[in-house]
Amino acid sequence: MVKYVFKRVGMAALTLLIIVFLLFWLVRVMPGNPFPSERMSDVQIAAKRAELGLDDPILVQFRNYVAKLLKGDFGNGTSLYYGVPIKTVLRTAVSNSFRIGGFAILLGTAVGLLLGITAALNRGRFLDGFCTVFSIIGVCVPSYVFLIFLQYTFSFKIPFFPYFFDADRFAFSSVMPALSLSLFTMSTIARFTRNEMVEVFDSDYVRLAEAKGMYGGKLVRAHVLRNALIPIVTVLAPLVVDLLTGALVVEKIYGINGIGKLMVDAITGEGIDYNYVLALGILYSTLYIAVMLLVDLLYGVLDPRIRVAAKEED
Amino acid sequence: MAELIPQTVPPVPSDAYVPVAGDFAFLDRADILTDTNYASLSYWKGVFIHFFKNRRAVIGLVIIAVIVLLAVFGPMMNSYGYRDIVQFRNESNRRVVAKALEPRVPWLHELVTGEPYDDSFADRTFLFGTDDLGRDLWTRTWHGTRVSLLVAFVTIFIDVIIGMSYGLISGYFGGLTDIVMQRFVEIANSVPRLVIVSVLAIFMPKGMGLVIVALLLTEWIGMSKIARAEMLKIKEQEYVLASRTLGAGSGHIIFREILPNTIGPIITQMMFSIPTAIFTEAFLSFVGVGIVLPQCSIGTLIEEGFNNITILPYQILPPILVLALLMLGFNFIGDGLREALAPKLEDM
Amino acid sequence: MKKLFSLALVFVMLFSCAAVSASADSDAYLGVMLSTNVMSLDTNLATDGESFEVIADCIDGLMQMDADGAAVPAIAESYDLSEDGTVYTFHLRDAQWANGTPVTAHDFEFAWKRIAAECEEYAYMFDSTVGCIKNADAILYEGGDPDTLGVKALDDKTLEVTLEVPVSFFPSLMYFPIFYPINEEFFNSLEAGTYGTSPETFLSNGAFVLESYTPGTASLSLKKNENYWDADNVKLAGIKYQVIQNSGEALDAFRKGELDVVTVSGNQVAAAEKDAALSKSLTVTGAGYMWYLSFSQTENNAQGGMLANKNLRLAISNVIDRYNLTDNYVMDGSLPTFTAVPPQFAANNETGEDFSADQDQFLDLCDYNPDAAQAFFEAAKKELGKDEFTFTIIYGSNEGNEVALVAQAIKEDIEAELDGVTINLQPMTKAERLDKMQNDNYDIALTRWGPDYADPMTYLGMWVTNNDNNYGFWSNAEYDQLIKDCTTGQYISDYAARWEAMLKAETIVMQEAVIAPLYTKANANLISGSVSGIEFHPVALNRVYKNVVIG
Repeated sequence: MVKYVFKRVGMAALTLLIIVFLLFWLVRVMPGNPFPSERMSDVQIAAKRAELGLDDPILVQFRNYVAKLLKGDFGNGTSLYYGVPIKTVLRTAVSNSFRIGGFAILLGTAVGLLLGITAALNRGRFLDGFCTVFSIIGVCVPSYVFLIFLQYTFSFKIPFFPYFFDADRFAFSSVMPALSLSLFTMSTIARFTRNEMVEVFDSDYVRLAEAKGMYGGKLVRAHVLRNALIPIVTVLAPLVVDLLTGALVVEKIYGINGIGKLMVDAITGEGIDYNYVLALGILYSTLYIAVMLLVDLLYGVLDPRIRVAAKEED
Repeated sequence: MAELIPQTVPPVPSDAYVPVAGDFAFLDRADILTDTNYASLSYWKGVFIHFFKNRRAVIGLVIIAVIVLLAVFGPMMNSYGYRDIVQFRNESNRRVVAKALEPRVPWLHELVTGEPYDDSFADRTFLFGTDDLGRDLWTRTWHGTRVSLLVAFVTIFIDVIIGMSYGLISGYFGGLTDIVMQRFVEIANSVPRLVIVSVLAIFMPKGMGLVIVALLLTEWIGMSKIARAEMLKIKEQEYVLASRTLGAGSGHIIFREILPNTIGPIITQMMFSIPTAIFTEAFLSFVGVGIVLPQCSIGTLIEEGFNNITILPYQILPPILVLALLMLGFNFIGDGLREALAPKLEDM
Repeated sequence: MKKLFSLALVFVMLFSCAAVSASADSDAYLGVMLSTNVMSLDTNLATDGESFEVIADCIDGLMQMDADGAAVPAIAESYDLSEDGTVYTFHLRDAQWANGTPVTAHDFEFAWKRIAAECEEYAYMFDSTVGCIKNADAILYEGGDPDTLGVKALDDKTLEVTLEVPVSFFPSLMYFPIFYPINEEFFNSLEAGTYGTSPETFLSNGAFVLESYTPGTASLSLKKNENYWDADNVKLAGIKYQVIQNSGEALDAFRKGELDVVTVSGNQVAAAEKDAALSKSLTVTGAGYMWYLSFSQTENNAQGGMLANKNLRLAISNVIDRYNLTDNYVMDGSLPTFTAVPPQFAANNETGEDFSADQDQFLDLCDYNPDAAQAFFEAAKKELGKDEFTFTIIYGSNEGNEVALVAQAIKEDIEAELDGVTINLQPMTKAERLDKMQNDNYDIALTRWGPDYADPMTYLGMWVTNNDNNYGFWSNAEYDQLIKDCTTGQYISDYAARWEAMLKAETIVMQEAVIAPLYTKANANLISGSVSGIEFHPVALNRVYKNVVIG
């Protein structure tokens, strides 16, 4: 197993390198200019391009970038928070997005599972229908619309939660954004859990367990949930990455200085900020790859029958 | 073969009865051909009957049918076109535009309040109100539904054809194939969509085609993950082994034996990727690579309504409701299909 | 289920405790909305109005803006101007930085030379198109030695600035952040790239000091600077800025009392006008920048340079109903504009008259005149030998909600009146729009320009042949000559003649329909009733808070 993990990490590094290169190339092909140059003369722009080495062959640029990256240097923003090292800006953004996203994941998964299990146990009855409708609303109403609704109700009409994100009152002011972000996860997880559990309930081994006199919570825990968890973990994984890397509109509305907003600002600002797009892309890919590795390992834990590539190679 | 079998069969006792032809006969040849318990229905006929017995599935079908009908005929039900701005010039030659009006039905208003509207558009009917440019939202909602239905169907297609095949194949073969295919997914998923789409927009005209390509690029990934996970779970089961022993090819096992047993989570995933695709389309339109104004879609209507959500909430309601109903319908149909395709003992 | 409820209850209680303990003090702070993030607090790097505003809250330049936008002394107590109008000698007052060190002429020299050396976006304000500081062009564009810049600290309290040619509005440039000082010793004590990234790495000499800020933050706060030379007149305890990008949210934040000053747009303005209480708080102020249509006149675009035809451009400009745009779509008090230089920012130094006060002078060239447009269009069709045209209008989708509405309204107007013209709309990011314009790859662009200094030249200078901002590539020798006479030629010391020449230049722009001016943006502000003394300006610093009083 250890060997397998090492191998996967090595592969992840290679994948990451390919991703960085792809991003590196794509971002340079993108329409738009790295410099917000309404007031800059061509001479100035040419000087800036030269300074950043943008006129070098792409492979040379790439080599220089990776060399810097290995030292932990993402460079400076070229148009976004211009002149400030990306690391400085990223640190706060990552901490904000991770904490709020993490909160949303916990909330979404916990409530989603509860709802799904309740629905599956009450199959065909009112609670089941409620769960269906809830999860449909949850995916149809964008999280930012839900946030505005929360903000309007619990901050404007009933002044309870802060109207804007406040870094000094982190936990309290992240309730509303986390709640609205968790809605989609909640609905998805609830729906998947319900459907999976219903299917597992119908399977022979659960029938056998029931026949042997097993029922209620014990049956659910011992047989049903564990088997239903595989698809749930699968859908949860990308959601985790998406939530951790921030949600653009929610961050914008609630005034959260987070990763999602940074990414869109980097692309849609007055100039495309090559270095930010790259730094954020690398962050996202690393997370994604790590989570996928974790998921593959989890499969084996959840269902011993599954043989992931691990065993075949050991 | 025969000569290889060792002759260990005990000798037949000499007084035993030797069967001859004609000892046994079917009373009716038809007995072999029909199994009265099961085979009286073809598989698809069974699915069909099963599906229509399911009350919720039928409701779902009705909802979708009504929405499709409205998407086709809704815009024709009044005199406004989707890009017609309702406006006129007043005495001082300034333009008066019927913008941001709440839903209004003059006769109903008069009935309830006893007096007609007192503005310049007192005799106009706008069932869903108007948008910020002074266009009828009823017409635009149904016009937008067309676009979004297209997006929904494209997504289902992508999910099923690309995502599912990819995931099933990756999961089934495992080993190096799986590793390479999964690394490709990681790469495909890691490049921000906005970056890819902007680059694509250099080579392709912007519009619906580009939206479809953009969806093609990443929408299949979620589905492929689900399909792969299902495959990993199922491929070790006895019937797969049996099938393989009997000499079935990989293609047959993947698509004929395993696929029908993975249908549950796959349908669920399909349903949930529709709104994501619809919102993705809206985002692409916003950054200028999606549908072209003054066209609209459910997603862009939601985004436009969002700007006024606290003061004119009626603007965002119709598109969200249509989307929710669409989803409800699709989900009911999906549930019905799943139960009909993979009938369980108790359902029979 | 019971368990779940009790858990939820505990949760709610936990947070309500937190709420009570956290909300206190910060009463006398002024809550102000910003529409976008502050990008940089470094005068060298800042390019956006939000950054300029916050920098100006914290740092004083040689001069400052009074309520009417005129330049009045700040760090400079007075200045002398040489006979030939090219040497300014500023005499500094005894002011201190927030850390107690005196503000000296060397701080200015250091900051200016740094800007000349680094040559960032706003460094152009030193060059011969604006400030005309001696040797600026050579340093900025030809790699000259930054030490040769025409600025010199004669002693701690005297700063001498030498110009290439007299610049009539030079003192009023001094309130622009690019001309602000930086404490050299403090700056050099910092790690490279950290200046202005936190309260610890930013030094004020102005009315406020930074209290909390990180790059990228959506909320920042300033508190009163006790070391400020004019501290006695600053009544505000501090300012709390909050970035809000959604107009509906801005309206609610104001109604809730969360913020004292917000800017609303579109339907929120209409809603505020209808509301008895809110309408009293509504104040419209000029935002300065003008939206206009830029026509590409090169052969690469518009079906082989169709828009190089003057009559076609005039036809388009004459079917746009500018009142319709401002009344129905922009709605925030923006002014329909019928002149190439927007009104209300450039007043004549001698007569006090606004350069574009007369909005009726070109009505026959750019108002909504379908008949005139038809005549222009017929002429254009005859000249071009074509009667079907398809053009694409590009605009930035992230430049405000109203932009998409305006673009659609323009499309409908053009297509309704000019038979045979098809307009496609192409939204894109602002970055892409600018890139397309700079690379001469567009037909018509919906774009804007804000005045950097209070002189019509900030607009007129753009249409000179080969100017970097002349995105339409229009060229006219007579016009070039007129502008040259105004900036470096015969009119530089004759204010009245220069004014006349600029009016003449504007007439040419309008007659040729180089651009189609649309409207001059205004901001619809909601200001809470207890707040008074905010100074709004359409140019340079949009809002100044030094004299604000709450209560």
